[in-house]
Amino acid sequence: MNKGYLCIVLHSHLPFVRHPEHEYFLEEDWLYEAITETYIPLIWVFEGLLNDKVDFRITMPLTPTLISMLTDPLLQERYLKHINRLIELAHKEVERTRWQPEFQTLAIMYLNNFCRARDTFERFKRNLVSAFKNFQDLGKIEIITCGATHGYFPLMDICKESVKAQVKVAVSHYESIFGRKPQGIWLPECGFQPGHDEILKEAGIRYFFTDAHGVLHGTPRPKYGVFVPVYCRGTGVACFSRDLESSKQVWSSIEGYPGDYRYREFYRDIGYDLDYEYIKPYIHPDGIRINTGIKYYRITGSEDKQPYIPHLAREKAAEHAANFMFNREKQVEYLYDFMQKKPIIVSPYDAELFGHWWYEGPMWLDFLLRKIYFDQETIRTITPSEYLFENPRNQVVTPSMSSWGWKGYSEMWLQGPNDWVYRHLHAASERMTELTKSFPQTNGLLKRALNQALRELLLAQSSDWAFIMGAGTHSAYAVRRTKEHLLRFTNLYEQIKSGCIDEKWLSDIEYKDNLFPNIDYRVHQ
Amino acid sequence: MAILRRIKEKLKKVMQREKKTGNVKRPFFSKAKEKEATKRIEKEVLGAQEMAVERTKFSTPVAVRVAPLMREELPYGYGVDKIVLQVRDSCWIHAYWEVTAQSLNRLGEQLKDAFFNAKRILRVYDVSHIIFDGTNAHRFFDIEINPEANNWYIDTGGPGRSWCVDIGLRLPTGEFIKIARSNTIYTPLEGPSWITDEEWMVPEEMFARLYGMGFGLGRSSPVGKAWQERIKRALFSGILASPGITSVASPVKIPKVRKFWLNVNTELIVYGATEPDAKVTVQGREIRLRPDGTFSLRFALPDGKQVIPVQGTSSDGIDTITITPIVTKETKD
Repeated sequence: MNKGYLCIVLHSHLPFVRHPEHEYFLEEDWLYEAITETYIPLIWVFEGLLNDKVDFRITMPLTPTLISMLTDPLLQERYLKHINRLIELAHKEVERTRWQPEFQTLAIMYLNNFCRARDTFERFKRNLVSAFKNFQDLGKIEIITCGATHGYFPLMDICKESVKAQVKVAVSHYESIFGRKPQGIWLPECGFQPGHDEILKEAGIRYFFTDAHGVLHGTPRPKYGVFVPVYCRGTGVACFSRDLESSKQVWSSIEGYPGDYRYREFYRDIGYDLDYEYIKPYIHPDGIRINTGIKYYRITGSEDKQPYIPHLAREKAAEHAANFMFNREKQVEYLYDFMQKKPIIVSPYDAELFGHWWYEGPMWLDFLLRKIYFDQETIRTITPSEYLFENPRNQVVTPSMSSWGWKGYSEMWLQGPNDWVYRHLHAASERMTELTKSFPQTNGLLKRALNQALRELLLAQSSDWAFIMGAGTHSAYAVRRTKEHLLRFTNLYEQIKSGCIDEKWLSDIEYKDNLFPNIDYRVHQ
Repeated sequence: MAILRRIKEKLKKVMQREKKTGNVKRPFFSKAKEKEATKRIEKEVLGAQEMAVERTKFSTPVAVRVAPLMREELPYGYGVDKIVLQVRDSCWIHAYWEVTAQSLNRLGEQLKDAFFNAKRILRVYDVSHIIFDGTNAHRFFDIEINPEANNWYIDTGGPGRSWCVDIGLRLPTGEFIKIARSNTIYTPLEGPSWITDEEWMVPEEMFARLYGMGFGLGRSSPVGKAWQERIKRALFSGILASPGITSVASPVKIPKVRKFWLNVNTELIVYGATEPDAKVTVQGREIRLRPDGTFSLRFALPDGKQVIPVQGTSSDGIDTITITPIVTKETKD
């Protein structure tokens, strides 16, 4: 009999980046890298567990933008090109490193992984979402939704119509892909604002997540802290909150597992390390060096990096999985004694942490899930839906406004470099509401224009743009995307108001920003 | 790497600052305060690390590309007097506003000279637990703003309260003329709520399902008086927030800043040509010729001696030529 539960959440998200108007577009690499390094390796982990009949539960928010990209034929075609180029490079690397066996082993490892990734990609007929859907249909993972374009809700509170649109578009997109309603939602950046639970309830969503302080600072005080969910007052939507202890063990880049010196170093990539003429065909067409994904060094702990040794890293991943499980067991035993109730430890991570940043992450997850299944009886992995089914009686609390971002509130998305976006985003939201009111029933060209207007608004709202502006110096792309979508929206607004819609231009932006084919602008009210 | 380093340095400063302030005043409370501060800092460290990791998702090359010029720009304003408040964190709120030229002109005409001596201000009202009608705020404070500014970060100093802001003019007489009033927002609590009344529920559809399955209502909550006290104590000592299995303090290690560096690597290119249909091996392994019969191989060249026999054999297998370059590489520091 277990004494508590572990709910691992892998939040998978990338902003919508798709530029059919360019032959090659650098930022599309975010998707290709994540496919090779995270999504496909996770599929391998889940397939392996199924093959070996290991029971497990993972909760996976797949954002509507990510799903849209993973199911887009153009991006699928481009990924294939991308992985083929990588395979070609890996072949050359195997040759080049002939006299350096310590590197040649690695080149062969990459070559094998890339080839296997291509095989997997083609095995699922290029549609990786179908792989995850399959795991969900088998009851092993629970896929939940997110804001349509990952808009940060607390900074949209002034125009709740947009929050509604983010939720409703996401829910109907989920239904069209998975053939059922989503049970839960990952609020983008865990951004919760009291009152938004009403919008979730209206959309049929039963639970969401906040960061620890969202519930700990809730009113009234939560009796069991973050270790059982609470129901929002008035709506009964359940709120699960993050356990910081387990997050820190994995997340922290300094004391966390990924910083171990046997693990692969993220920052040494042959795209930067090798001779320019040699690497040129595999980097940016303008000759700008970029990451290729082939990285030969381990973290080492000093500037003099040592070659990566896969089996040592693997042993360490197993050790770290054991350590993580041990700590959760102790945590659960302690809490169970103390609470006289089974606690649920919610451990959410960015999925892209696994594999992309922490190369051994998928391997660690594999070890962890196997160990939990075979080696102990204290904890059981669970999805929030199952938990609520088994434990329907919970405390009623109004969680506090919070996010899981830097400093825990909205500062990451509301600071000097990005605060200018809100006056424009809010103005656009207001205009969208006005359009929806003015045109309750439409068809033909006008309907197309209204639907596209909502797409452009949603795209401008992605929290990623504000995040990139807030995080660093290379924000030109994020600024451009914000402005571009807002300008497209404004043009549409003016054309719709004046009654002369430029169909040729509309077709062009429909072709570029082609996500959510079945969107209905009337959700924005 | 640079970003990580920068964050770490910043955090170090924050930590030092927090430590100092934690030690200064009210020795009686200082321990608890320090604990609270460490917790907050710890959360910040974690947050910054998460941010650094998340940032790697959006890799961008070091060389900055020239961004294509935007053909259009966003408008400066939207032609309405408006002020909007948003919550940044439990103490700080952000206001952005637009005051149209027409409104200013109108005010100028109305107020005449007084207009030019008026100060542009934000009046921040504490409107917690009331329906604000413009006169019944608990208190307010003014912030004088630069007429060019169009947004402002305001330190309310008060978590768990509601706020509303007017933008307007304060005349030399002290009279305040409102131009626009903001929405009302609520700054979240900074710590646990003082309200400990408990309410429990089973959602209706769950209850229906349970009822239908004949399970009854489920267990009653294990609440005794002593139990409640225990939970309360635990909350204060932070046990429920973090059961303290691994160490709590997270000393941030500051990596050495590398100022200068030099990397030297060598590679060897072996190239040649033969009849396009010939068979060529290099170190015993067959290689592919280009259609014109040329070939080129590139090897990372470690220290030591490399013997590289290159053997060409004619397509009919009769002629064989072997040429063996021998390369020795030595590196001196």
